[in-house]
Amino acid sequence: MTILATKGLSRRFPRVTALDRLTVAVGPGVTGLVGANGAGKSTLIKILLGLLEPSEGTAQVLGMDVTAQGAEIRRVVGYMPEHDCLPPDLSATEFTVHLARMSGLPRTAARERAADVLRHVGLYEERYRAMGGYSTGMKQRVKLAQALVHDPKLVFLDEPTNGLDPQGRDEMLALIRRIGTEFGISVLVTSHLLGELERICDHVIVIDGGTLLRSSAISEFTQSTQTVTVEVEEGRDALAARLAERGETVTAAGRTLLVEVRAPQTYDTLRDAVCDLDLCLIRMEQGRQRIEDVFKEPADV
Amino acid sequence: MSDPSPATPSPGAPAGVIHDIGYRHYDGPRTGRGPAAAALAVHTLRGVFGLGRPARAKIIPFLLAGVMMLPAVVSIAAMAAIQQRATGYTEYAVIMQAVLAIFLAAQAPYTVAPDLRFRVLPLYLSRPVTLRDYVGAKLAAMTVAMLLLQAVPLTTLFIGELVVDMPGPPRTAEYLASMAGAVGNAVLLACIGVAVASFTPRRGLGVAAVISLYLLASGVSGVVAATMEATNHYDAAAWAWLINPFFLVDAAVQVGIFGAEPSGPGAYPTGIGVPAAITIMLGLIALSVTALVIRYRKAASR
Ligand SMILES: Nc1ncnc2c1ncn2[C@@H]1O[C@H](COP(=O)(O)OP(=O)(O)OP(=O)(O)O)[C@@H](O)[C@H]1O
Ligand SMILES: [Mg+2]
Repeated sequence: MTILATKGLSRRFPRVTALDRLTVAVGPGVTGLVGANGAGKSTLIKILLGLLEPSEGTAQVLGMDVTAQGAEIRRVVGYMPEHDCLPPDLSATEFTVHLARMSGLPRTAARERAADVLRHVGLYEERYRAMGGYSTGMKQRVKLAQALVHDPKLVFLDEPTNGLDPQGRDEMLALIRRIGTEFGISVLVTSHLLGELERICDHVIVIDGGTLLRSSAISEFTQSTQTVTVEVEEGRDALAARLAERGETVTAAGRTLLVEVRAPQTYDTLRDAVCDLDLCLIRMEQGRQRIEDVFKEPADV
Repeated sequence: MSDPSPATPSPGAPAGVIHDIGYRHYDGPRTGRGPAAAALAVHTLRGVFGLGRPARAKIIPFLLAGVMMLPAVVSIAAMAAIQQRATGYTEYAVIMQAVLAIFLAAQAPYTVAPDLRFRVLPLYLSRPVTLRDYVGAKLAAMTVAMLLLQAVPLTTLFIGELVVDMPGPPRTAEYLASMAGAVGNAVLLACIGVAVASFTPRRGLGVAAVISLYLLASGVSGVVAATMEATNHYDAAAWAWLINPFFLVDAAVQVGIFGAEPSGPGAYPTGIGVPAAITIMLGLIALSVTALVIRYRKAASR
């Protein structure tokens, strides 16, 4: 089942191309959308919401076309923008109830849902206070609550961890994970940092300059990156040959060797090889290589 | 955050154990765009009168609404005491135009500025409500507010007249003409006021812009008309009065359509003057609505 899919999707602004023929498909669960500043993450979300017209290409959300069925899409998705969007003189409760009604919930249902959802995001007594006095963490929670209040099938969360301290970030990430699993709501969440999404996503899409760098399940990311980096003073090639002889997969990367870790025995083989050849070992780094590295090596994709 | 729900009972909830029932899906009814837009209009209308807002937000609207009632109250008292009418129906809005203008200036920015300033608009537009619904709801709210401000004293005055039982037949026709005029004033003023206010996300600036526009229009209208009258150009003077929106509506609706006596200080243009006044009035409304829609198209694509 695909939750959303784009085909050759482009969006050009007078000076920049924010999205350049992007083709991706996303299944249910939590999907991370990662890219540097200006990569086109927010632009993609706005197009998927029907807030922005694509310049070319098509996109579908929950099987509905974004240009033709924007209204139907907006009925069943939630959106948490990256920017501030909270009027300071309203309380979180008033604000969330009002937006629930704007999503078409009747008055009493809107009240109940707002109370429920504010509790789920972790706002208790303070929800009756004016939001002007909230901390960034509390504001992000209200922004998340209003995206969930109408019980959407899919939520777009644009940089939900923005401005949070490490603890707040962890809590937000845990909450997003719960939304995808416990609440059963599919999530598309953006971030600059692959590292933080790694923990909570089922699938990660990396875009850069509006083009797709990579789109794959999180398991693929981590599987392919169980490597150990070895650097020796001299005899790099001899070591590589010896390791290959013993059945290891080795790739030369500059002055270092990347050795794939098949099993714990790989380390033994490596140690023995270095000793046998009497090499001078400079560095041996256990790299469960972070998925950030996908970024640095776009050529490999 | 993922730990079991802290058992903090909400104030007023019966004491007892609160169980964490986990996330519940909503499968109740969902209304369409129409009711959502209506809810927005009601929410905005309440806000214009400060309802659901802090106490200080209620002071200005209720004070001004109270001032609007004064002529009606005085007139009813005069009818009861000395059997005389103090204020007529069709002249009511013209006499009280400064109060209406101040109310418009003070409250029209409230309807649009905060959503622009605090960037709430994307939250509306990511829901079923469309840009048109949003603009329509805001205009409807301001129009109803301006209408209430006039219709309540006018109707009070009319009921007062019926209760006091003045000699002669009740002036129903004049009352109805004034109510039509009130609708004309409300629509025209709300459209202009909200359109002008929407161009700045700052409320103070919006207030200043709307009141300046009114002062400018009424000032220019008065000066030009007086100059023309002094130089015996009575035709030109009659047209000059129409620069003031209150005289424009008086000339178009109350005098033009309902044949009431002019309430302005001078005569309005006759002959082609009536259709012209109606056209100008409708043109201004259309212009304001167009400006608003363009303004919001731009704001939405930010
Ligand atoms: N309304 C607009 N007008 C002109 N250019 C725009 C507009 N919106 C976005 N852009 C440009 O499009 C590119 C992509 O922007 P976008 O906001 O989608 O990036 P992003 O990945 O969300 O970045 P960030 O991490 O900074 O939020 C940027 O170069 C941006 O300057
Ligand atoms: Mg962005």
